[in-house]
Amino acid sequence: MNLAILANTEAHVTGADTAVFACLLVALITCLALEEKLHAKKSVIVGTFAIICLLLGAIRGILPFDDVVVGSHQVTAHEGIKGEHQDGHFELAKTSKEEKLHYNGHRLRMPVYIPGIDWGVIAIILGSSLFVDVTSRSGLFTWIAIKVTKASRGDPLKLLFFYGFMTVIFSAVLNNVTAMIIVGSLTVVSLDKLGLREKLLGFLLIEGLLTNIGGLLTLISSVPNIIVGTAANISFLTFFVKACPYVIVSTLVTLWMGARFFGIQRLQDSVSQSNAEQLVQSFDETDGIQSWGFFWFGTGMLILFIIVIATTSVLPYVRDLEMGFVALAFAGIMLIRYRSVADDFYRSIDWDLIGFFMGLFIVIYVMEHAMVLHTIGIGLRRVLVHIDAEPAHWVDSSVLLLGAAGFSSVTDNIPLAAMLANILKNLDAQIATATVQETGLWWSVIFGANLGGNLTPIGSASTLVAVTIMHKHKVPLSFAGFVKAALPFALLQIALAVFYVLLILPHL
Amino acid sequence: MPQIDQFESVFKAADKPQFLYEAIDFNNVLVITDLNDQAADLHCQQVEQLLAGLNDTAAPSYQIIRGNEFSTVASLIQQVEDAKPDLICMYRNLHSPASDFPYSLGTYVDVMTQATHVPVLILPHPENPEAIEEETAVIERVMAITNHLAGDHQLVNYAAALTPASGCLYLSHVEDKATFERYITTISKIPDIETEKAQDQILNQLLKEPREFAESCREALSATQLRIEIEKVIVLGHRMKDYQRLIQEHGIDLLVMNTKDEDQLAMHGLAYPLAVELRHLPLLLV
Repeated sequence: MNLAILANTEAHVTGADTAVFACLLVALITCLALEEKLHAKKSVIVGTFAIICLLLGAIRGILPFDDVVVGSHQVTAHEGIKGEHQDGHFELAKTSKEEKLHYNGHRLRMPVYIPGIDWGVIAIILGSSLFVDVTSRSGLFTWIAIKVTKASRGDPLKLLFFYGFMTVIFSAVLNNVTAMIIVGSLTVVSLDKLGLREKLLGFLLIEGLLTNIGGLLTLISSVPNIIVGTAANISFLTFFVKACPYVIVSTLVTLWMGARFFGIQRLQDSVSQSNAEQLVQSFDETDGIQSWGFFWFGTGMLILFIIVIATTSVLPYVRDLEMGFVALAFAGIMLIRYRSVADDFYRSIDWDLIGFFMGLFIVIYVMEHAMVLHTIGIGLRRVLVHIDAEPAHWVDSSVLLLGAAGFSSVTDNIPLAAMLANILKNLDAQIATATVQETGLWWSVIFGANLGGNLTPIGSASTLVAVTIMHKHKVPLSFAGFVKAALPFALLQIALAVFYVLLILPHL
Repeated sequence: MPQIDQFESVFKAADKPQFLYEAIDFNNVLVITDLNDQAADLHCQQVEQLLAGLNDTAAPSYQIIRGNEFSTVASLIQQVEDAKPDLICMYRNLHSPASDFPYSLGTYVDVMTQATHVPVLILPHPENPEAIEEETAVIERVMAITNHLAGDHQLVNYAAALTPASGCLYLSHVEDKATFERYITTISKIPDIETEKAQDQILNQLLKEPREFAESCREALSATQLRIEIEKVIVLGHRMKDYQRLIQEHGIDLLVMNTKDEDQLAMHGLAYPLAVELRHLPLLLV
């Protein structure tokens, strides 16, 4: 018998250590909020903090430099089992109460920062972005985008609604940033074509806001969803079923408001309608398709990807390999088409994003061992007074959602999601059990982290892309201008989310 | 953010101007000549004969301004405005022997191409030895020339209107090789841009646009009652030399080109030297 328990390092940490690391965490979040001012990429900022945290953690002796046990089975040891340290047999650290033991497995020596990284999340992001990148070469997304444009017949109001729904769907299936780039670029070209340049601000702003709504639709639509959803054990299908009603209602409300705020109306006379239709008909949706064979292959693979991702939790064998494997496997299959130039795709991977995640996970890992997350958790328990309640108390859900939204509006929502996921998971409450998805707290984090990005242009990467496109095309919009224009939309979306999480979600 | 530019390029490339056919009727043709009496009438008849087979719509009415009816540019412009023609037919070097100024079009043509919005058909000078032959010849092959074919609906519509039934319309676009090479030489000195890739992709895109527009012209014209054949001639080359070569190779009877530019640049660009050089060929300046 080979039995092992993972070591707990909490005992070595002093209050001063926790305070120092907490300051580092605050500094990191501040630097991320000031990313543009610092002229530094996220990966460099987080990487620097990860180096400092690791060094300091090693100096203060708070990091677990023990071997890592892999391939073990978990068993529960009850009070009274005596520990016996004997190489190749079993190890017990505590026997005073019910304890989780790791039975069998291999002890591996690896750098302390490696187990800190959530490789499942990294695999999903890496695989999905590669898959989307290769699939986009088939011309599928541009084909869809142009077909949608033609279906609108150039009518501004129809165009706004069609582009809005396309933004939501692309955000859900691809990711927020790619969706904004595709729809935003098409918006610029088609509005130019239709002579509606003055409507560019309204269109891009609404699309930017809708990327974060679309980002709520599925488990893989945004990084906070992946982090929180996987931590909370929410399946792809459950996530979709629970988020979908909110996404539909919020999208419709946002589009309706956008049309009214920015004066986007239907064309009234038949001459204008005919002219507009003629103009959009000149778009050729087949222009970007180099091979029809690859186009249909890409289409089939995308549908299959969505189906497999959606059913990963119930598919035999695949379920054990998890979503990261699915994403990487599909990327690998798509790359066969471009096998001789696969390195081109590797070069186009967003290494800044990957580096950012890896650095962030390391920082969070160190914070966990420095008891910073534990301390925040204690603070959170004081704010969330009914944290053990099931379903979650309306005050707790509201506070968490609004807090997450406020935090996400000024800095990256990914550290927030990672931190809160970790804290919620480790809180001594029912939310860490198998019925975790029944509570509204996880959903509060998900909704807050996603929707907070709509409050400011720096709140999410996709709204930042929307503003970048505006500036590229000489549409002036300052930080304050964005907040002023987006605030009514964001507040309404957050209010709807609070209502939804409190009153609708518990019944779904 | 390079990806934004990448997708914008994809969508811009997908935006292909489609040819819009518009029937053009020459109901009122004005012939301007510096000849008088019978010589002027004979010239007018020759013009009528030249245009007789060009379209199957109602026969146009012809007016004539003879040599003794104008002596200044201002008086000619006034008469043209009064006549309200759909087409002006004249020849170069009015009121001066053609041989005196073989390298210009003469003041009257210069002004007429810019001062009115009416297309001008420049015929070979009657003193030109090839003139009689050209003026009595039947127009069968018409070539529209431009360095920016894509989206030039008017040029193609005029060229199509002057192409007779069962005649052939050549839609030509010669991309200037010298300019292209100059830019590629510059690109070859910029380390960030891969020269070979840039050369291939830029050239491909430069020729793709007129090719696709010409294809849309073919589709749109085949849907009309004009029974004309459409040929595409889209190449990279030296404009003057290659146009002359193409005209000769295809036995072109009428050349159609733009001159009425808002900035009056066209007549000083490709069109002017071509118009001067091609003295034996009827030219329609749109």
